[in-house]
Amino acid sequence: MNGELPITNDSMPHSAAALASPFVIGNSKLVIPPESRLGKAVHSLTGGLLRHWQNILTAFVQVWANKGRSVLTTLGIIIGVTSTITVVSMVQGFGNYVTDIIRGFGTNLIFVFPYSPEGFKDILLGRVTMDVDDVRAVGARCDKVRRISPIIFSQATIEFGRSKVSNVRIRGATEEFQSIRSFYVDKGRFFGPLEVDRGAYVCALGADMLRQLQCDERIVGEDIYISGQRFRVLGILEPKGKVMDDNPDEVVVLPYTTALKVWPEMRVFMPFMVEATGEKDAAECALQITRVLRERHNIPPGTISDFRVHTQDELLRDLERVKVAATSVLAGIVGISLIVGGIGVMNVMLVSVTERTREIGLRKSVGGRRRDIMAQFLTEAVVLAVVGGSIGVFLGYSICYVASLHPSMVKVNVPMWAVALGLTCSAGVGVLFGMIPAFKAAILHPIDALRHE
Amino acid sequence: MQTDNRKKLIELRNLRKIYRVGTELVHALRGVTLSIHENEFVAIMGPSGSGKSTLMNILGCLDVPTEGDYFLAGEDVAKLSQSGLARIRGRQIGFVFQNFELLPRMTALKNVQLPLMYSQLPKSKQRAIAALEMVGLADRAKHRPNQLSGGQRQRVAIARALAQQPAIILADEPTGNLDTKTGNEIMAVFDMLHGAGQTIIIVTHEPDIAMRCKRVVTLRDGLVSSDTVPSEGLESVESQRIAS
Repeated sequence: MNGELPITNDSMPHSAAALASPFVIGNSKLVIPPESRLGKAVHSLTGGLLRHWQNILTAFVQVWANKGRSVLTTLGIIIGVTSTITVVSMVQGFGNYVTDIIRGFGTNLIFVFPYSPEGFKDILLGRVTMDVDDVRAVGARCDKVRRISPIIFSQATIEFGRSKVSNVRIRGATEEFQSIRSFYVDKGRFFGPLEVDRGAYVCALGADMLRQLQCDERIVGEDIYISGQRFRVLGILEPKGKVMDDNPDEVVVLPYTTALKVWPEMRVFMPFMVEATGEKDAAECALQITRVLRERHNIPPGTISDFRVHTQDELLRDLERVKVAATSVLAGIVGISLIVGGIGVMNVMLVSVTERTREIGLRKSVGGRRRDIMAQFLTEAVVLAVVGGSIGVFLGYSICYVASLHPSMVKVNVPMWAVALGLTCSAGVGVLFGMIPAFKAAILHPIDALRHE
Repeated sequence: MQTDNRKKLIELRNLRKIYRVGTELVHALRGVTLSIHENEFVAIMGPSGSGKSTLMNILGCLDVPTEGDYFLAGEDVAKLSQSGLARIRGRQIGFVFQNFELLPRMTALKNVQLPLMYSQLPKSKQRAIAALEMVGLADRAKHRPNQLSGGQRQRVAIARALAQQPAIILADEPTGNLDTKTGNEIMAVFDMLHGAGQTIIIVTHEPDIAMRCKRVVTLRDGLVSSDTVPSEGLESVESQRIAS
């Protein structure tokens, strides 16, 4: 037994050499002598990893030993991460849904509206104008315009037999409406260029109008009354489906010429829509339109245009802004709950340090340096916080899953970056709020710590 | 005693330690001069307040002296930084405490591996098993402290102290929490280690335990009051050593 273990410290290097670990590479054994620089590096690396691994294991043992306390402590983090995952996923889900719908219109779609920075006052006073000549000029002079149509916005009461529906959206356009909006007639036919030229009293109904007028597709060929004027129904538009509160199927489309007869005041307030020659040309097309209209409206350089050009890109960008705003409001809430969670972690770590003062003393007496103790307790705080974060991720996933079971819910998928963000934030909280308890543990005097009762 | 041809492991020169308690200064050590050689088996005795705990803390590098020199294996440890002291504690000193101080959630093996984790020595598991074998507890490696008897716990603690192959084993009342029979068993383990060449210092107030050591240093009022070899009566040997 005497010879088994060399006792004095001087024999250390020899015993280390005797115990040098063989590294197996392929079929050959490579023995790195521990005295060599490489050997030392390997040892310090593996030793370091081993130590971190030990810290993590110890931390998990501690967290597991105090399950109830750990969960309660990290409740703030759990709530924070759960709400991050849930709300981010929902915002993303709705955002993707709306984006898809906008994309469905075609990204080469451009809307042009009369606009005044002064607001509607100028519009009501007739100072802001845009008329059919503007529309024709744009159509003639912009080579990136594939199709163009005025679009008159109005509302009216519709009567059919005994049914009467008020506040129905009326759109006045040319025969190009179908192609520009990718919104086609399902039954019957759309009005043609001749009917537009003549200003014929004809219309196409949105799919939802059938239900509202309490009739079926046999209405095609019948007459309805729009604002008291008689119109022939030529066709029914395909159903597009609801976009949140907006129902594109609840609409009546007329030739814009006819619409101008019914609402003549729209003659000088005529928005229009344009289909650019391609998705990539949309921005160029918008520029051309701006140039032509500014020239026609005699707007001196440096002043604001009396119209607005909306590309789908811009709409998408607006949507993105809404998403960012929603996300930052959320970030505030999450930040607060993470701080609360962090204080919880700090509190329980301070308790843990006090409870384990003797352990700290012992660890110091067997060679643990301040930084080792610090690393141990910091690891524990991080593990605690990340365990909370993981529970939060799990709960967030569950909530999103349950929510997506609802039939009218949009498709929600949890983005990986939200998971990563949640876990990173909780780890960060662990580091930040674990610092004080870990430091308190690290600077304990070994003698006092060992005597602690 | 053929101490002259053996290497000096510990050399204390005029060691003083002054504590400040409130506004009062407490002179715990008033100039201790002491040498301990390789493979000595020393008991440090003394009534409470004699400074023996302070001396043990300084010997164990848990504390630094206010004044004086402390050479451990040729290294001046009185001036070391906190992390330097931690390194010495890890590599040169194996502590054995009165109440074992094993970590309850770890197995005996993990407890023995603890110092090796800090010193990052390779093959820590083999070393830990070898140390447990030395104290005859290799078959209990997977047991937790609460599954072991008091004597076994203390033997695990001794194995932990041995794992690093330290220069000295420093035991603070190692039998204080054990009955006489188990205490004797622990002393037998120390005897065996001493036989294997290990340097051992035991701090105790039990004369029975001290008599089993090869040299007894008694402290009184912060000074070495006697330095004897139990088998050879009360003859002082310290003065001869300093002269040599």
